[in-house]
Amino acid sequence: MGWYKRRLAKSLWVFHVSGSPCNNCDIEILDLLTPKYDLERFGIKLVGSIRHADVLLVTGVFNQKVAPKIRKIYEQAPKPIFVVGVGTCMSGACCFRDSYNIVEDRQAVIPVDLYIPGCPPKPEAMIAAVAKLLGVLNARN
Amino acid sequence: MSVNKIPVGPFHPLLEEAEYFELKVDGETVVDIDLEIGWMHRGHEFISESKTFTQSIFLVERICGICSTSHPLALVHAVEDIDNIEIPLRARYIRTLIGELERIHSHLLWIGLAGHFIGYDTLWMWAWKYREPILQMFEMITGNRNHYGMMRVGGVARDVDPVIIPKLLEDLDIVDQKMVMIAGAAKDDPVLRSRLKNVGILTHQAAVDLCAVGPTARASGIAIDVRKDDPTDAYDLVEFNMIVQKNGDVYDKLVVRVLETLESTKIVRQCLEKLKVVKGPILNDVKEVSEGEGIGRYEAPRGEVFHYIRSDGTNRPIRHKVRAPSYVNIPTYVASCKGIPVADALITLAAVDPCYCCTERTIQLIDANRNPVAVDLLKLSREKTEQVRREIHD
Amino acid sequence: MQEIDQFKERMDGKISHLIDKKRRFYFNVESENLREVAEYLFKNLGCRLSTATAMEMMHGIEILYHFSLDRAGQYFCPRVVITDKEHPKVPSITSIIGGAVWIEREMFDLWGIEFDGHPRMEELLTLHHPQGLKQPMRFGRTE
Ligand code: SF4
Repeated sequence: MGWYKRRLAKSLWVFHVSGSPCNNCDIEILDLLTPKYDLERFGIKLVGSIRHADVLLVTGVFNQKVAPKIRKIYEQAPKPIFVVGVGTCMSGACCFRDSYNIVEDRQAVIPVDLYIPGCPPKPEAMIAAVAKLLGVLNARN
Repeated sequence: MSVNKIPVGPFHPLLEEAEYFELKVDGETVVDIDLEIGWMHRGHEFISESKTFTQSIFLVERICGICSTSHPLALVHAVEDIDNIEIPLRARYIRTLIGELERIHSHLLWIGLAGHFIGYDTLWMWAWKYREPILQMFEMITGNRNHYGMMRVGGVARDVDPVIIPKLLEDLDIVDQKMVMIAGAAKDDPVLRSRLKNVGILTHQAAVDLCAVGPTARASGIAIDVRKDDPTDAYDLVEFNMIVQKNGDVYDKLVVRVLETLESTKIVRQCLEKLKVVKGPILNDVKEVSEGEGIGRYEAPRGEVFHYIRSDGTNRPIRHKVRAPSYVNIPTYVASCKGIPVADALITLAAVDPCYCCTERTIQLIDANRNPVAVDLLKLSREKTEQVRREIHD
Repeated sequence: MQEIDQFKERMDGKISHLIDKKRRFYFNVESENLREVAEYLFKNLGCRLSTATAMEMMHGIEILYHFSLDRAGQYFCPRVVITDKEHPKVPSITSIIGGAVWIEREMFDLWGIEFDGHPRMEELLTLHHPQGLKQPMRFGRTE
């Protein structure tokens, strides 16, 4: 696995899945790709299929209907995969805690390695988080 | 006739719901569409019944990240409608300012994504690059890039500091210039024109029958705009035009949105000028809301947002109904998609402006194994643009 | 104010409890007259069906339709009260207004109100729900 992780630490390919968010976290993620923040300079790329991804970005509080689908995506992902939960929705259910349709235990649906709180997190915060993730991955090798 | 089914979704975020499409195609032609929604249903109307009116503002903001001013505005209009609460003049200008800035950023976002869907990634990058100054203006005024938390029953929460107004005007000039450029490019580009003209037509009759709202309706020749029809806030104090087109195709929807953005910059400029001179309070303290019902509406970037509040005299509503514009606009897909080639389906869906992220990243994902006929709509759409481009240049 | 006077005259005896409140008109309609009122509002006055709100009250289930008259900035809101809470049923207006399909399906989904003559009476939001969520907005909802 050593070689795999070394490669992983160089250029992360990211797949993004949204489980009932309000869209804002998703837009801020897309914003990272556009000229102002330009995450591609770190070799990070948004890919079109989970089977190519090293990192899975998850947003939103999962509702009960979408949770099995997210689980399925996670199962289809090549392992090892790093799951990043973006937004307060992922870390604390935001203001939707009282809803009848959300999944209480999101960790059971998908094991999250890293949370980025914020509603939505600033793009700068996301870049910092990704840089930290890269640091951790590099240290592991 | 052999009909194949193309599954799209379900990861296709739209206001409260993601949806799952099933395009039924015969050869290259779409014959029918089946929609399944509910992937994003979080029960806002239910949660709202246990929140006070002020708390509700933060909740409805989180219905949709792009309309995060429209929903709170419609909500406070509904509460103000119960008691006919008047709001101070300065607050009216600030509300309109925030609302129009949001329209600019939302339309730019759409223009970028529409470009992305037909293979114009340059347009995507441009549009989103010039969206950034708008978000910075938001950050200066409200302290956050999205989810501003500005609205209150009876006024607004923060004042606009007069010190930043010259800087805001300066930024606005830059956006304005770039918008004129994008508008020119979009209108004159022969490829764009022939790629989008007469694609996915929504006829006037169908738009009336399906009760479409917003740019979707205005592109089909229905002249409705809440800002003109039932003006609230400062909309009766500023000057702007309603943009109406006739054909109802994707190109007209693009034109409506581009021209509307230019109108919005006009409104923002007027508001900023007024804020230099209009002084006074920004919040009318509302102590209690009496029993009754109220309807609040606001013209969101995608059309009329509708909120209905029924109050029993306490500080919480007993019923709070939310109707987002995409809810009525999405069924118009079905009308405008029937009989068009598959390659045009994606841009027609996108033209209603329901979704922002990763349509193409969702196709063929879940059901890849089960459905061998699944195709990449994005690829098809881009190939068609390429083909049109070649035809024009030869 | 012209349209509302016209409307009152035409629908005399069919509407009651009219509340006239600054460009918003709320009135009660019996469910057998609903289709006629809706047809008049949509076809003759040229209103747009904005949406419909269902709510459960102590005395029964209320459906409040919201018709927007855009050229005057007014809202016409016919209210139908159903006292039978167990099997609420009202005539569907989808054959008059195509845009009502989703609106009625949503009310069927969240409140269990049945619409007579609806082309496709099935859940809108909780279709294929893994936990089989049933009528979550009713009082008697169980988790
Ligand atoms: S964390 Fe906030 S911005 Fe992100 S999806 Fe949730 S509500 Fe939206």
